Amino acid sequence: MTTTGKLRTRFAERRVTIGLALTALLLAGVPAMSTAGAATSEGLECASATQQTFNLTAGDGYVSTPDGNSLYMWSYGMSSGGFQLPGPTLCVVSGQKVTVVLHNTLPEETSIVFPGQRGVTADGDPAQPQLNATGGMTSMVQAADANSGSVTYEFTAGSPGTYLYESGTDMNKQVQMGLYGALVVRPAGHPDQVNNRADSKFDPQHEYVFLLSEVDPDLHLAVERHDPVDWSSYRARYFMINGRSMPDTLAPNHASWLPHQPYGALVHIKPYDASTNPDPAVIRYLNAGTVNYPFHPHGSDERVVNTDGQALAGSNAEDLSYLKYDIDVQPGQSVDALMDWRDAEHWNASTNPIPTTIPAITDQLLVGPDTWFSESPYLGSKGAVPTNITDNNQCGEYYHVAHSHALEQATNYGATFGGMMTVFRIDPPAGCPAN
Amino acid sequence: MTDQNSRAAGERPLSRRALLTGSLGVGIVVAGARSSMGASSGPSTLARLAGTAHPQKTVHLAGTDGWVSMPAGSPADAPFFPDSLAPDPFNTYVFGFRDVTGMTAQQVAAQRGKAQISAPMLSFDEEDDITITLSNLGLLVRPDLFDGHTLHWHGFVNAIPLFDGVPELSLAVPVGRDFSYFYRPHDAGTYMYHCHFEDVEHVQMGMTGMVFIRPAQNKAPVGSDPLGTKYAYNDHDGSTRYDREFAFMLTELWSAAHYRDAHIQVSDWTDYDPSFWLLNGRGYPDTLQPGGDPLSTAAGRLQYQPITSLVRCNAGDRVLLRMSNLGYQNHAMTVDNIDLTIVAKDASLLKGRDGTQNYIVTNTVDVGPGESRDVIFVAPGPGEYLLYDRNYSYLANGGGPGYGGMMTKILVGAPGTYPAQSAANA
Repeated sequence: MTTTGKLRTRFAERRVTIGLALTALLLAGVPAMSTAGAATSEGLECASATQQTFNLTAGDGYVSTPDGNSLYMWSYGMSSGGFQLPGPTLCVVSGQKVTVVLHNTLPEETSIVFPGQRGVTADGDPAQPQLNATGGMTSMVQAADANSGSVTYEFTAGSPGTYLYESGTDMNKQVQMGLYGALVVRPAGHPDQVNNRADSKFDPQHEYVFLLSEVDPDLHLAVERHDPVDWSSYRARYFMINGRSMPDTLAPNHASWLPHQPYGALVHIKPYDASTNPDPAVIRYLNAGTVNYPFHPHGSDERVVNTDGQALAGSNAEDLSYLKYDIDVQPGQSVDALMDWRDAEHWNASTNPIPTTIPAITDQLLVGPDTWFSESPYLGSKGAVPTNITDNNQCGEYYHVAHSHALEQATNYGATFGGMMTVFRIDPPAGCPAN
Repeated sequence: MTDQNSRAAGERPLSRRALLTGSLGVGIVVAGARSSMGASSGPSTLARLAGTAHPQKTVHLAGTDGWVSMPAGSPADAPFFPDSLAPDPFNTYVFGFRDVTGMTAQQVAAQRGKAQISAPMLSFDEEDDITITLSNLGLLVRPDLFDGHTLHWHGFVNAIPLFDGVPELSLAVPVGRDFSYFYRPHDAGTYMYHCHFEDVEHVQMGMTGMVFIRPAQNKAPVGSDPLGTKYAYNDHDGSTRYDREFAFMLTELWSAAHYRDAHIQVSDWTDYDPSFWLLNGRGYPDTLQPGGDPLSTAAGRLQYQPITSLVRCNAGDRVLLRMSNLGYQNHAMTVDNIDLTIVAKDASLLKGRDGTQNYIVTNTVDVGPGESRDVIFVAPGPGEYLLYDRNYSYLANGGGPGYGGMMTKILVGAPGTYPAQSAANA
């Protein structure tokens, strides 16, 4: 519904936000993509570490939502850096020792659990549930004391794949508040494979984490104000990929206007080509929320090769992977999926034109004051866009959306085309000349 | 590629000799490169060897609003249900598609305000050249709205944005206009389609339907199967052969949102709180009523919910159930006392790239929002069996007492009771 006042206002705000985000994207992120050195502005970004040792600080801060809201969050940041949502992406090698030192600045004790890792210790003792004097559990693992405590966890990185790391203390509240991050375990000697199977090979330049989560802003306000938390009225209103909601998901990593939300979710690829672009991208889905997130990529299926850090294979190494057009990620689950986009029909304006006709611009409905559409069906070709429409399309590249298909999750507090959503950008085989 | 690079290795390419001798499925050498994806991007070898041209198929759909009926006896939920604006015998405002193929322009225009739920069920063959023209007839009850409509073929692989139906990334069809979408499906399976204009609203309002693609293997049956044998997929071993097929669009209906759309109000979609749970746009026991024709008043209050969910089959039949979920909740479809075999998810045969079969035998099929499943069972002895959502809170109509919601019956007759099926759900 497009004319009702309340929604129209939201709609207009959203459009302005998208326009700003895209303009900034074009200025700050994408043009730099043609140079290898700037490739870190998109995709998975591993936290820096020496000998797989990470110093993390649990602290508080604020993040912004595309509709102008500001949310009080708790999260993990690099101790050498500052507050960020989600926690830093930790990349380690399977079978090798990992050390995570947790420093706590929060007003209550907190901890980290590492599902799927081996031989986890806390300050040298086996990680185990913590009990009070009467036998009640106070934490799933040894915690760092409130305000200034610390604890050192060590473990052997588990089976290759993707894992959550998250609070093990008062989890319902602390994980909702944002205490989660991604742990990527790579197979030894094969940083370009999801697991130890050669058929899980991907293009390391196109590796993405989609850490999915949700926020009930009322609950966060209560925590900020030290008010009691009422779980019976829990209702998520914001839905995020890597701590951002659409259209902020499209902004590059470390966008200056999202100072505490450093990770984008734009997937930026070229069409599959057997000789020049043979390897797929990989998307590592994680669910840090309370409900399933049925994530639907448009434009291509994705091949699920790993779940919860385990290769989908039979006992005699049979391939049990499968293609999906919707990946229903359960709470706490991880799904690693290979994806590419293939030019099936090779439409070409002169040699293989599409068999239908694009309507005159007056017979199209372009939604809002901007568009990603090239006004051409042909990859790498651009038609004219009316001057009253902001043109986000650089060189005739394709855009496909990818989003939760529990469609209330693809909104920002109910406003459509937001929330748990991003786009896949497909450049022409030769790249964008504008780059 | 990649004609050689078939979708699942179960659909791996055939040598011409294998095809000619009928010795399919064993020891077939893959020609050419194979990527780790194994997705197709062109006609399968099977399709080419089966001599498939590209038959032209055209469909004309119209998008508009209208009125439907949730089950009789559902409790009132003032002011939302029944809707005070609803003309007798209806009670719920919807948006929806209609199949207006072959109608004159005047006849098409006359369907304004006569949407149906679930949308017309579409089926095609692999490698068909499909043109679907979408006309936006506007909203009779809401002439103030200038909503566009689009067609998103959910799960269509390797789409170009123009034909993918996301208005922000291509275009939408304004009121009074039309646009022709083109598809050449290369991969058999169970898909769905829906409007993607303000999707959280238009999908909930009812612009959702099923589409399935029949495999090229139907034209080159495996083993000693006669021509005319029907398969769900290019399985190369006959494991997806079926005698009858029934398709179910799973959705929920939130009465308050439908009311607010009719009464010029807006919904906060994060308050989503559905009232009815539907199979093919109907709640039990309406699911058992026969299929109808939206041009005929014979079905009374179900005139604009023309798709039946009653399963009728003979003992020993292999029955294919296609399930698609365009609601916003997970559904756990259950049949007591009959084993169900899931052969495909999201239009992909459950076989690995090396051909390893990974079918799942179960009695409960979980289908998440935006997902599909293909399930085969062998009909047991004559009797009545229920197909229902194992989430019992979804087996009611509007919170009322008794049985309702996402449930239907499987009627099994003695061999020969029901004649050969003429169409899905017949």
